[in-house]
Amino acid sequence: MPIIEVKHLTKEYNLGAVTGIKDSLRHTLAKIQGKDTWKRERFKALDDVNFTIEEGEVVGIIGHNGAGKSTLLKHLANITKPTRGEVIVRGSIAPLIEVGAGVNPELTGRENIFLNGAILGIPKKVIQSKLDEIIDFSELEQFIDTPVKRYSSGMTVKLGFSIATSMDAEILIVDEVLAVGDIAFQQKCIERMEKMIKNQGRTVLIVGHNIRQLERLCTRVMLMDHGAITNDGLPRKVCGLFFKQAQEKTFNRKEHTEGKITPQRDSGIISVNEVELFNSDGIKQNGTGLHEALTVKVTFSCTQDLERPEIVIGLHTADFVHVLSVSNALPDIRPSLVAGTHVVTCQLTDIPLRPFSYSLRVAFLDQHRQMLWYAENIIPVLITAGRYDITRLPEVGLIDVNANWAFDKEIATKKA
Amino acid sequence: MSTTTSNLFAYRELIVALARKNIVVRYKQSYLGLLLAVLKPVMLMAIFTLVRSFIGIETDGTPYPILTFAALLPWIFFQESASEGVSSVTSNAALIKKIYFPREVFPLTAMVTKLVELTISFFILAGLMAYYQMMPTIYILWVPLIILYTMIIALTISFFGAAINVYYRDMSQLLPIALSLLMYGSPVIYPLSLVRKKLLDEQMAGDWSNQLYTLYTLNPLAGIIDSFQRVLLKGIPPDFNALLPGFILISVLLPISYLFFKRAENWFADII
Repeated sequence: MPIIEVKHLTKEYNLGAVTGIKDSLRHTLAKIQGKDTWKRERFKALDDVNFTIEEGEVVGIIGHNGAGKSTLLKHLANITKPTRGEVIVRGSIAPLIEVGAGVNPELTGRENIFLNGAILGIPKKVIQSKLDEIIDFSELEQFIDTPVKRYSSGMTVKLGFSIATSMDAEILIVDEVLAVGDIAFQQKCIERMEKMIKNQGRTVLIVGHNIRQLERLCTRVMLMDHGAITNDGLPRKVCGLFFKQAQEKTFNRKEHTEGKITPQRDSGIISVNEVELFNSDGIKQNGTGLHEALTVKVTFSCTQDLERPEIVIGLHTADFVHVLSVSNALPDIRPSLVAGTHVVTCQLTDIPLRPFSYSLRVAFLDQHRQMLWYAENIIPVLITAGRYDITRLPEVGLIDVNANWAFDKEIATKKA
Repeated sequence: MSTTTSNLFAYRELIVALARKNIVVRYKQSYLGLLLAVLKPVMLMAIFTLVRSFIGIETDGTPYPILTFAALLPWIFFQESASEGVSSVTSNAALIKKIYFPREVFPLTAMVTKLVELTISFFILAGLMAYYQMMPTIYILWVPLIILYTMIIALTISFFGAAINVYYRDMSQLLPIALSLLMYGSPVIYPLSLVRKKLLDEQMAGDWSNQLYTLYTLNPLAGIIDSFQRVLLKGIPPDFNALLPGFILISVLLPISYLFFKRAENWFADII
């Protein structure tokens, strides 16, 4: 029997504010008289969602903002009730929805451990026995008797995470909490999550935007869009699909089609007028093939003379993993420029990136490496398999390098 | 109703932890601490005693300061429990949106929090009793029951008010006003014996006197305050005739109020 069953779950919200008591009474009166005049716009946050989850499954839920992920979790955690449909949960639930919801700033760390334990339904005895472990994990021994209001925000989430994950429940619900604290602590969190998931065989539901993390942790991923589950299956497949959708979305973004570039940083000295891409055959095209050349042509103007500026061109993924960067400082081709319009071309001779879509970023720095102009997501760059057979490429990995293979001896091959 | 009782038990640790938090948060970084809790009844007692020296209120021989203090104790406990209970759900919006546990935990926690403050006031009362050389009798055993009954009344108001307050915040503003008016309709400044004497013995309101007295005792606090004074100060059992109308009213209202709360609970997280 599945541990979680969701049948035809639909949730509607009224748009707009709660009306005054006058309107409310009037509409109720009208309703009693049988003429429903109340036509408030309704928004379907969840639209006929159906799925079952078996015990021990680790399910990731991904989707754009507003796709209904958190609303779905709220139903599973019994925080809100469906408009229509049914949610059956067979087992105890630990909702880690936003770690630290119950952390009170006036109380000390230790007091908060007990309070949050009680809120999460952990018996006091269990907390008592796990107290050292919790404090140890949170790395807050020194501050545990200090009121939380004197903590840094990072310390607060560390505390929250440590309490929440000490709980023994059959079903764990996690919403955007994996990445808390600094990088070292994040690593620890992920390790702990993985331990909880893999060793203890719990059923886990995770909602998040860090797709790579989810892909790693989950045994199954559901993709949500506009309140419905559009895909449900193996993490790699669904995450890949989601990335593709995200790419398409960026591809179709207005700024790109209109060719307007909005820099993240702009000193006012440099303005970029146009960025163009050419493939290995010199044809203007937003992309190229694997291990082929890509030429980036940037037309820019500067309002003053620039002495030996540095230009950095790079590619990043939709989730801003900067996979590739080149700079004119390395070959030391950096002439001084007079005020006016210039064109710089940079040919990346051998793109080692796996077929996927990326985005272009460009940075201008002065000779002292002061940022003059910087923009990410300038144009989408689609890398295709090019001359390679896409089915022979491994499914994971970002970068493709040339590799030489050898076996220890000649292997006799059977001739047909 | 039985589910509330079992919830009360299952979530007792949570209620205690939340009540502890309420108290710690309220009195942390304050020099007087919990003593602040007794400031209100003591000040009111002083004012009432002063006023009484001008207008004169018959008290059946009990010293007025202790009589009014013994009335203020259950009254303030009720008033603050109900006010706190009504805003208890909205003031915990963050928790409501994130974690599920039966929502009646919040009004219940408000009661428990106020119970602690009430305990402090009892020490003052004990001091006053010692000063007036009043010995507690066996009837003091009624006190826990009276307090429990007061909590049930405060809960009846809290369940209904807290649910309304999620939709219309007016509730938490209006209730304290309504309650401070109700104080004049309760035997706080004057004893119930005075009301009884005027209405039942002297038939002051003519033919309507008996009905008026029933109407007056429909306010459950009338019976509670009177019983409280009787078992503690006078050493006599409660007057059940004064308790009955209010008790019937509450017996009818509590289930309605609770069901209303449980029904509204489903949408707390969406509306709050």
